[in-house]
Amino acid sequence: MQPIRYIRPSTVREAIAAHASLGDGARYIAGGTTLYDLMKLNIERPTGLVDVTFIEGLETIDTSGDTLRFGANARMADVATDPIVQSQYPVLSEALSKAASQQLRNMATVGANLLQRTRCMYFRNGYGGASGGAADYPCNKRIPGSGCAAIGGLDRGQAVLGVSDACTAVSPGDWPVALVAMDARIEVAGPGGERMLPISELYPLPGETPHIEFTLEPSEIIVGIVIGKNAAGARSTYHKIRDRESFAFALASAAVALEMSGDRVNAARIALGGVATRPWRADAAEAMLIGSDLTDDLAMAAGRAAFADAVPGRSNGFKVELGARTVADAIMIAAARRPL
Amino acid sequence: MQGAPFADRARVDALEKVLGKPIYGADMPLPGMLHAITVPARIAKGRMTALPIESAMRVKGVVRVFTPDDFGPAPVPPAGRYAPPPPMLIWDITFRGQPVALVVAETLEAAIEAAEVIRPEFEEQPFSVLADADNGVVRDAVDDVAAGNTMAELARAAIVIDQTYTSPTQHHNTMELLSTTAVWAEGRLTVHEGTQRSSGVQHDLARALGIDPAIIEVKSAYVGGGFGQRGPTQCQTAIVARAAMILGRPVKLVTPRSQIFHVATYRPMSVHRIRLGADAEGRMVAVRHDAEQEQSRLGMDPPPDRYHDAPPRIYGIPNYLGTSTYLRLDRQNPGFMRCPHPQPALFAFESAIDEMAIALGRDPVEFRLANGATTDPLTGNPLSSRFLDECLAEGARRFGWEQRNPLPRSMTAADGTQIGWGVAAGAYPSMMVPSIASFRVSADGSARIALSGHEMGQGIRTAIAQAVLKHIDIDAERLEIAIGDTSRAPQHITVGSWGTAGAVPAAEAAARRMRARLIELLDGRNVAGNAHRQLAAVRRPYLDVEVAQTAPGQDREEALSALRRGGYAVGGPEYPGFTAMSYIAHFVEVRIEPRTRRIRVPRVVSIADCGRVISPRTARSQIYGGVVWAISATLREETEIDPRFGGYLNCDFADYVVAVNADIADIEVGLIDKPDPMANESGLKGLGEVVMAGGSAAIANAIHHATGVRVRHLPIRIEDLL
Ligand SMILES: Cc1cc2nc3c(=O)[nH]c(=O)nc-3n(C[C@H](O)[C@H](O)[C@H](O)COP(=O)(O)OP(=O)(O)OC[C@H]3O[C@@H](n4cnc5c(N)ncnc54)[C@H](O)[C@@H]3O)c2cc1C
Repeated sequence: MQPIRYIRPSTVREAIAAHASLGDGARYIAGGTTLYDLMKLNIERPTGLVDVTFIEGLETIDTSGDTLRFGANARMADVATDPIVQSQYPVLSEALSKAASQQLRNMATVGANLLQRTRCMYFRNGYGGASGGAADYPCNKRIPGSGCAAIGGLDRGQAVLGVSDACTAVSPGDWPVALVAMDARIEVAGPGGERMLPISELYPLPGETPHIEFTLEPSEIIVGIVIGKNAAGARSTYHKIRDRESFAFALASAAVALEMSGDRVNAARIALGGVATRPWRADAAEAMLIGSDLTDDLAMAAGRAAFADAVPGRSNGFKVELGARTVADAIMIAAARRPL
Repeated sequence: MQGAPFADRARVDALEKVLGKPIYGADMPLPGMLHAITVPARIAKGRMTALPIESAMRVKGVVRVFTPDDFGPAPVPPAGRYAPPPPMLIWDITFRGQPVALVVAETLEAAIEAAEVIRPEFEEQPFSVLADADNGVVRDAVDDVAAGNTMAELARAAIVIDQTYTSPTQHHNTMELLSTTAVWAEGRLTVHEGTQRSSGVQHDLARALGIDPAIIEVKSAYVGGGFGQRGPTQCQTAIVARAAMILGRPVKLVTPRSQIFHVATYRPMSVHRIRLGADAEGRMVAVRHDAEQEQSRLGMDPPPDRYHDAPPRIYGIPNYLGTSTYLRLDRQNPGFMRCPHPQPALFAFESAIDEMAIALGRDPVEFRLANGATTDPLTGNPLSSRFLDECLAEGARRFGWEQRNPLPRSMTAADGTQIGWGVAAGAYPSMMVPSIASFRVSADGSARIALSGHEMGQGIRTAIAQAVLKHIDIDAERLEIAIGDTSRAPQHITVGSWGTAGAVPAAEAAARRMRARLIELLDGRNVAGNAHRQLAAVRRPYLDVEVAQTAPGQDREEALSALRRGGYAVGGPEYPGFTAMSYIAHFVEVRIEPRTRRIRVPRVVSIADCGRVISPRTARSQIYGGVVWAISATLREETEIDPRFGGYLNCDFADYVVAVNADIADIEVGLIDKPDPMANESGLKGLGEVVMAGGSAAIANAIHHATGVRVRHLPIRIEDLL
């Protein structure tokens, strides 16, 4: 048996110290729904676990001031059903409630959610664990430099935006997409102190180093997520199209929040999921809407603009059309919502 | 015989199941149990050249690693060479994921860890795993199925539909994982395993291990979903049994789902070219059906000519020509998966019927009714009963079919959602197998009946209870129904929708005989109370009866001897003088979202003809389950194979997409419940398979009605409608 050190600190400082002392094999663990899964697949092989769920105050949800603040340990289910989040920021609530299953949302935390790893089947189902597949698939995330089996392979689920010659794996999360649309900032603490990280800077493009998926420094811990309150939140939605109606990752999704006067769009925030190698802000789509009267055609044009730079593979070309339509649908759903 | 309809009865084992009381194979608690895990081959074809086990043996808790050296050569089976997988560990590799070693340890964790450090060496050979690859696939045709003069009639037909339809590789994915728990004690081997074929497993084990079947018991009291995957003996069973015999301790293996994808059976990809001809009056006159199906290099099951079981026996089409071809590849054997042949065959055939109705400008329900049948063109014999027209009429009434605008794309909701209504028929052979039932009623208030059958969730115990209680007044609460246990009664394989036909007529006969014996015993005395009271009154502790039942036309001695040897003895659907088929009609509404083109199925109405309904509650559940699976098979499920690697890429529940609750809306079911006068004494026909038959076509036909797009492959996904 591979022994694992298990440490249960009660403060953020202790957690960082414990993590640093355990070295390279250390992992924080919260709800465990990602980490245990990856351990069974032999993708993660930690030698030490720092359980963050006993850190006091890390699960707080605070919506009282000018910001929404979610402690890293707040459960997905609790944030999804928070009355303020539900009524004034449906994009956040829906991104959480359309993810995973109720049982998982009861365990999983909104902080660790930001660090889930791709669902690319070649990454996950390669040989290695008793629960894995039976082939050694080349995968630059799993074994840097080994190649990418998905390129030229069964790529129906792969990304069309932000891809490189080394990797086309989709960034899987729903919640990060909504947070990117909301310009969230991540409170991070590490051996060198604390910092605020715009969420868009958490996720690098794969480029030649697809195994580097997050910009956190060694032993850095996510403490909380902060969103400036904004008017667009009330006129928002997270629209998720998947291969079945529940309990599936997105084929294409769109987080959309609008500020409008009459039919005129004053501000737009649009981010995409299921189609890109990182949570994808669709600036071109936003620019197309702002200052114009919203129509079905304009929404569709904005959707298409979001995919202008798409690079499809062998069998995921439909994601360009589906993604554009998902954006258009989301824009019209958001627009139909009335601010309180 | 074939009296009044049966009343509804709650499942006899519902409460204990809800309470978690039944012990499934892998849950059998045994002292000193060891845990096993198999090591899969990491090549698709070739030979294992080295299997170093030293590092695995060093893992704390590991007891032994079994390799091919621990097994003799596989004994030659009756049919010739073993189709993959072999029932033991061997050095030659014929498919990716083939087990090459078995690790046995004190804990499951130790077994897994040791299995993960074993890195065998292989010499890989070129391989071919997909039929559409340009090389490597061997086409192997079997005899045609023919009636009349199809090609001449097609040449003469006024109109011919000629289209090709494809159904993908799909895996059963039963909730309960495959498992084997083997105990070797006092010179006897006991195997606890969820199988649909316990006597078959018993005899296969005897052959593979070279021991007497009389010292083997196989117990399969409850199965957590079979659907045909638990019909054949699993490749693991003899391996685990041998480990238990060598180690002298119980050994349990629960196969991880990813490995089940790679070693167990699956629904093979199949391609169906249908040529369907009609005359100027709109009577269908001829069908040519060319069926091709994936198969391992050596396998014979499932035979491709059985794609022609159902299509010729639905409508009165006198000319039928069916060709059948294996596409031989470097894969493990496929198998039978719920509604095995008719599921893909009728997706093709019933789509073609829809295309024909449209081409003729006919309503698809009216067109089907106008092409009714009374005989089986393949034999010239009458169909024993065919209440398909009643299914169609009743389904149309409940669905509100007369409201349908026949034009595609004509029914659109205010928000632009396209609405489509589709119909299709289904049929499945109604077969019957022999059974030996022993029945005891005791004066103490208990009773027990032991017979052939396996409970896989379909509710066979409830059907048996219905049959027994119809004829004799005993305490239902204390009726023990022993099935799936080779030590209690010989067990025929329970598949092909013949479970009820195999068990219920025998149970009815046993109960009738018991009542006759009791009347004899009472000898005219008038004793009040139920059978237990009557026995007590005459001071008889118990009465035993035994009956043996065979299918119409079966050679009794031959059939019963096959049953006792764990073999097949299947009667029908072609019985002497008649053919028996079950039928169903499905009516489906689909809604296609205007922009993203998501396909939803808000309602289904399905009406089935399975002859006399023995257990209304579990029969209705069968229809619900069949319709749910039809939706899943049509819109969701596909096992993905990367031809560069072989094996199965989406080999878990996360990536193999099955329908979830949110995908399923209203399903209304109905049963005609008219006894079949010929099929058997109980008047019943099979149900569990036919419920899915035609479902995929009904959905595809509805999608065509909604959108004008004809999709001729499964699964039908969002990109097909964008
Ligand atoms: C079957 C299944 C289906 C799913 N479906 C969806 C879906 O549809 N959409 C979707 O978006 N998600 C889905 N998920 C992913 C799910 O949302 C994540 O697994 C979950 O949010 C992770 O939270 P956790 O607390 O369980 O994380 P853990 O597993 O505990 O941790 C995840 C990662 O974060 C690290 N970590 C934990 N806490 C911290 C911290 N405070 N600071 C820094 N690092 C930390 C861990 O080391 C680990 O690497 C699914 C998961 C499963 C298992």
